[in-house]
Amino acid sequence: MIRFDQVSKRYAAGQEALSQLSFHIAPGEMVFVTGHSGAGKSTLLKLLALIERPTRGTVTLDGQNLGTVGVRGIPRLRRKLGMVFQDHRLLLDRSVFANVELPLVIAGVPPEERARRVRAALDKVGLLAYEKQPPALLSTGEQQRVGIARAIVAKPALLIADEPTGNLDPQLSLEIMQLFADFQQVGTTVVIASHDLMLIKRMKKRVIVLDHGRLIADLAAEEVA
Amino acid sequence: MSARRRDAAARGEPSARPAPRGRLRAWREQHAWCLAASVRRLAERPLGTLLTVAVMGFALALPLAFYLLLGNVQRLGAALGETQAVSVFLKPGRDAPAAQALAARLRGRVDVAAVTVKTPQQGLRELAALEGFAPAVDALGDGNPLPYVLVVEPRPELARAAVTTLVETLRTLPDVDLVQDDGAWRERLDALVGVARRAVQLLAALLALAALLVVGNTVRLDIRSRADEIAVLQLVGASAGFVRRPYLYEGVWYGLCSGVVAVLLVLLLELALAGPAARLAGSYGGQLGFAGIAAPVLLTVPFGAALLGWLGARLASARHLGATMPH
Ligand SMILES: Nc1ncnc2c1ncn2[C@@H]1O[C@H](COP(=O)(O)OP(=O)(O)O)[C@@H](O)[C@H]1O
Ligand SMILES: [Mg+2]
Repeated sequence: MIRFDQVSKRYAAGQEALSQLSFHIAPGEMVFVTGHSGAGKSTLLKLLALIERPTRGTVTLDGQNLGTVGVRGIPRLRRKLGMVFQDHRLLLDRSVFANVELPLVIAGVPPEERARRVRAALDKVGLLAYEKQPPALLSTGEQQRVGIARAIVAKPALLIADEPTGNLDPQLSLEIMQLFADFQQVGTTVVIASHDLMLIKRMKKRVIVLDHGRLIADLAAEEVA
Repeated sequence: MSARRRDAAARGEPSARPAPRGRLRAWREQHAWCLAASVRRLAERPLGTLLTVAVMGFALALPLAFYLLLGNVQRLGAALGETQAVSVFLKPGRDAPAAQALAARLRGRVDVAAVTVKTPQQGLRELAALEGFAPAVDALGDGNPLPYVLVVEPRPELARAAVTTLVETLRTLPDVDLVQDDGAWRERLDALVGVARRAVQLLAALLALAALLVVGNTVRLDIRSRADEIAVLQLVGASAGFVRRPYLYEGVWYGLCSGVVAVLLVLLLELALAGPAARLAGSYGGQLGFAGIAAPVLLTVPFGAALLGWLGARLASARHLGATMPH
């Protein structure tokens, strides 16, 4: 599903954010990417969504070398994956429903089917009752769940999340992570960047550990204690 | 993933590459969303929208108003100078027999088609009928300072140069005080109208450019204030076209509305001018009405303005969108 091959990333100003990173993630896996702040977790996810391009090496997603995807191909690529952000990136002047509906509009799904699928996604994250509210009236945890509903509404094969529990208390964090685990259960590949080691340990999934842009450990689910 | 995609197909969900029919439907859905988004944006700040539409509307109405006035001046000129008639004013004190004798002599010329004699009384009556002249004529009392006038009509097939020669000959006649060549006057008016027409075209081009800039600037500001929303759309996979479309619709709305405003303003102007113009025309014999701008021209104005708005929005969005994608 995902293959990093000797990937390095150097931002215009500064040192290498990722150094010769190589790993493989199989379809249906759920993987945590962890490490200290500035280790390169966000950069790794950005390469997957083509928000950034690697300086060297190749990133392959679903058999496609992302180096061959031009600017015009980026939207199509992003439609194949769902993204969840720490700051949730919702449209604050639109309702919860309209926010979740967005990927389906972009994909050109007709209204009736959109409504059905938006409601299914909101139901999944437990926010069906809030569909008409603007996101600003929701709590941080609820806003994060709206972001998750938006990420999964188009049923992407890959779900990536950057610090999705960064602003949440431990109980809410665990609920959110459980939600991601549920999506893995139905076959979605899930990659989550997080520095919350306690939480990661409880989830018992594969963990990739970065340190200053280098991969220093790749623990299988069974190895996580 | 391919296994998943097959699953998705089995569930009847759209795959990555929809069939042509599906693509058309998708296109329609996207446009509907962008259309709604554009209308929502305009409605969100009604005052700004109104202001932009008003500025554009006035800018477009101005050349239309000049076009209207110019058209009527030209019509007036055309009606007055339909015949190449030459007015020959006799010297004061020449009496009716003298006038008739000269008329008879002129009728004998090969380059003259007809001559009518206008008595001083007829002249005074015509003058009194003219807009605004009645009090002056009344003030004259019994005295009549007007001379006899011979209206000489050259043969219609005569060229301008031949008419000029005729006019020159008439000027040398001893009984003649003054020769007024309406044809020459008409020629000068035509030249003047030609210059004015070119000026109006230039003005129209400049004001269209101004309207374009107004839309472009409004859309540019809108794009700037919506940077977050644009980033979100791009992150969830919106194409450049999708992101741009609400702004293009916005430009079209601005153009269409300001075009309608411009047309309404011009119709208002026509309404205001029709009364006085009809009275003026009536005093000149009445067959000359005030002509408004032709309906087809008026109908094309909003569409042309919409095109202008689209172009302005397209230029602005080309400059200010899409800088967020990595290469
Ligand atoms: N846009 C950027 N421009 C320059 N340097 C950046 C940029 N984004 C991240 N970096 C640098 O790259 C390194 C890795 O950053 P990041 O991937 O955000 O780490 P993490 O998400 O693990 O905290 C850091 O040293 C950071 O300062
Ligand atoms: Mg980060």
